[in-house]
Amino acid sequence: MNEHVQNTVLVVLIGVFALAGALVSGAPIVYAHEISVVLTLIAVALGYRIYLHGIRSLFHGGITAQLFATIAIFISVIAGLVLTSGVSVFGTAEAVGYLAASAIVVFIIQAGMTIEGYIIHRTRGALEKLIKMSPITARVRREGREIEVPIDDVKVGEIVLIKPGDKIPVDGQVLSGYSTVNQATITGESIPVKKKAGDRTFAGTLNENGALELKVERIGDDTTLAHLIQLVEEAQEKKAPIQNIADRFTTYFLPIMAIVSTSVFLASYFTLGFEIALARTVTVLLVACPCALSIAVPVAVAGTIGNASMNAIIIKGGTHIEKLKDVNCVAFDKTGTLTAGKPKVVEVKTFGKYSEADVVKYAAIAEKFSEHPLSMAVLDKATEMHLDIDDPKNFKTVPGRGVEAQYGNKSILIGRRMGEGAISKEADGLLEQVESEGKTAIPVILDKQMIGVVVVADTVRENSLEAISRLKSIGVKTAMITGDNTQTAKSIAGQLGVDEYYAELLPEQKVEIIKKLKEGHVVAMVGDGVNDAPALANSDVGFAMGAAGSDVAVETADVALLGDDLTKVEYSISLSRKAFSKMKGNIVYAFIWNIIALSLAGFGVLTPVLAVVLAEAGCISVVVNSALLLLNKPKAFVKGSGKIA
Amino acid sequence: MTKQKTTLNIHRIDCTGCKACAADYQADNLKHAIARLNGVSNIKVDDITGRVVVEFDNAKIILSKITDRLEKLGYHLM
Repeated sequence: MNEHVQNTVLVVLIGVFALAGALVSGAPIVYAHEISVVLTLIAVALGYRIYLHGIRSLFHGGITAQLFATIAIFISVIAGLVLTSGVSVFGTAEAVGYLAASAIVVFIIQAGMTIEGYIIHRTRGALEKLIKMSPITARVRREGREIEVPIDDVKVGEIVLIKPGDKIPVDGQVLSGYSTVNQATITGESIPVKKKAGDRTFAGTLNENGALELKVERIGDDTTLAHLIQLVEEAQEKKAPIQNIADRFTTYFLPIMAIVSTSVFLASYFTLGFEIALARTVTVLLVACPCALSIAVPVAVAGTIGNASMNAIIIKGGTHIEKLKDVNCVAFDKTGTLTAGKPKVVEVKTFGKYSEADVVKYAAIAEKFSEHPLSMAVLDKATEMHLDIDDPKNFKTVPGRGVEAQYGNKSILIGRRMGEGAISKEADGLLEQVESEGKTAIPVILDKQMIGVVVVADTVRENSLEAISRLKSIGVKTAMITGDNTQTAKSIAGQLGVDEYYAELLPEQKVEIIKKLKEGHVVAMVGDGVNDAPALANSDVGFAMGAAGSDVAVETADVALLGDDLTKVEYSISLSRKAFSKMKGNIVYAFIWNIIALSLAGFGVLTPVLAVVLAEAGCISVVVNSALLLLNKPKAFVKGSGKIA
Repeated sequence: MTKQKTTLNIHRIDCTGCKACAADYQADNLKHAIARLNGVSNIKVDDITGRVVVEFDNAKIILSKITDRLEKLGYHLM
């Protein structure tokens, strides 16, 4: 039976006995009061967890609220049994009344403990969801047979078979098969990724329509998913600096409470008599609740980190939440971060009677066997246009100049320096212009005649523009830093509307720029986490993007974006701002709540039952308020909403 | 299968003494994090004394991996 169930059962039992006690006391039976007292005492005894905790803490050098509650309840019970009636202690109406109040107090504390425990447990819900993503069995091939074995028995190097619709149980490499896999668990991106032989898969991802055979590379605690879970666990345990303020309050809280309750007792004893003094002291002890102070921050931290992890963001501890909230400048790396980092055909210009398809076709034939990134871009374009590309007859790359090929009885020349003489003044002007925009122009020359130009450029990611504009909308300055040439940088910076750009930088110069930006700003740097490691390390908050699968990137970053969605940068900042204002609000609220409740108790306005209701309400509202962070959601990114001019 | 039971003592989890105590909360986190390790079959955490009792399978996990994890989670062994 888990703890929540045990606690709930206790609450119910305490409630039942307390109620029975109250009902019996008024019933027309013999020994009604005696039976009532016994029933009520059982209810009080069922609060043993509170007393155990309180008494044990005393022996281990801590004074806790449970100890106060224990003392308060003990005093009330003794008062109920001994002090209210002179002779016959057992079985008077007053005794019943005193005891009933104690039982209700025990009931409320136990119920409060249960509810708070449950809500706190729920803040870990995000993590539990991740954990459940990993299947507990795997189908392996052993001695030519397929058998299903528990995941703990799978060995590295074995072959695991994945059927359509299965969750993938291990990190592995595809040996054969073809399928699409939904990797949202790891990368946060719900568009399935194609997997073929040689590709890697992650444990906890969902295979969709094909069957796959995987060679096991990592299992159990070593998988990417397990590492992510461990990171989140560690992050949730790391205290936020604001916690120190709360801790300082709670350190003084208990000694102060001891002094306050003693003073209240003495003051009332000499003015109002023993009985009232006792009642007030009990009330003071019950109203004291450092809980709200001590739990407010950890629950908010766990809620924030849990929320982030559901959105494929790993924030590596409370400290970073506090730093993130102050970020007012975000510097992005360009290649591979704001842009896809992979050249793509962005335009095809044609001359004479030739169509776009002709130009791409001849270019693709000539470049079919080249592995240059620009050739890949041309071939991708041909595939996209559904063109059949024949093999060239002769094929020769001329390093630094271009490609030369024969196709049938035609000659194809690709590249600017290949076609001297074939490029007219007018065409030359066009090429100049394209290159001034930071793009690469590839002239296609067929039989010494220029038939068109393929324009290739690194393209900005679909969500980059949206990411930049969201950051601007929350008042954050944006900058781009890149090793690329000024022309390209200027063009991309213009398209995205970043406030500043710095180009032609070596890695150490990137660090200098970050340092410069830090004069007057709290700077976050977004990069791929590997090449940009020095700049990330020098920023106030380092974001690594596309970090899934790269332990280095996840390790070096303060915040790891598991997928490629840059809008998550703004979300991380906004979430942290919200989280921090909750932490601060909770501490102030809990502090004021305690002062008011204590004053009311000290001056006798509260009854013990009301006191405990107030204390629990204070705690629960703080815990709930913090846990609500878990429900925060990012603005949806509408595909295509980020229009690129 | 070689079952082993070990008692570790960590520095007492800060118990600042609330009713749904922060220490209970931390103990809960710690319990889950360790229980999830491959080969750990049972764990009990006493948030007041800081005593952690772990039952694990010797063949599947070594003790240092468990203590490493504890340290990484921010609990220092005594």
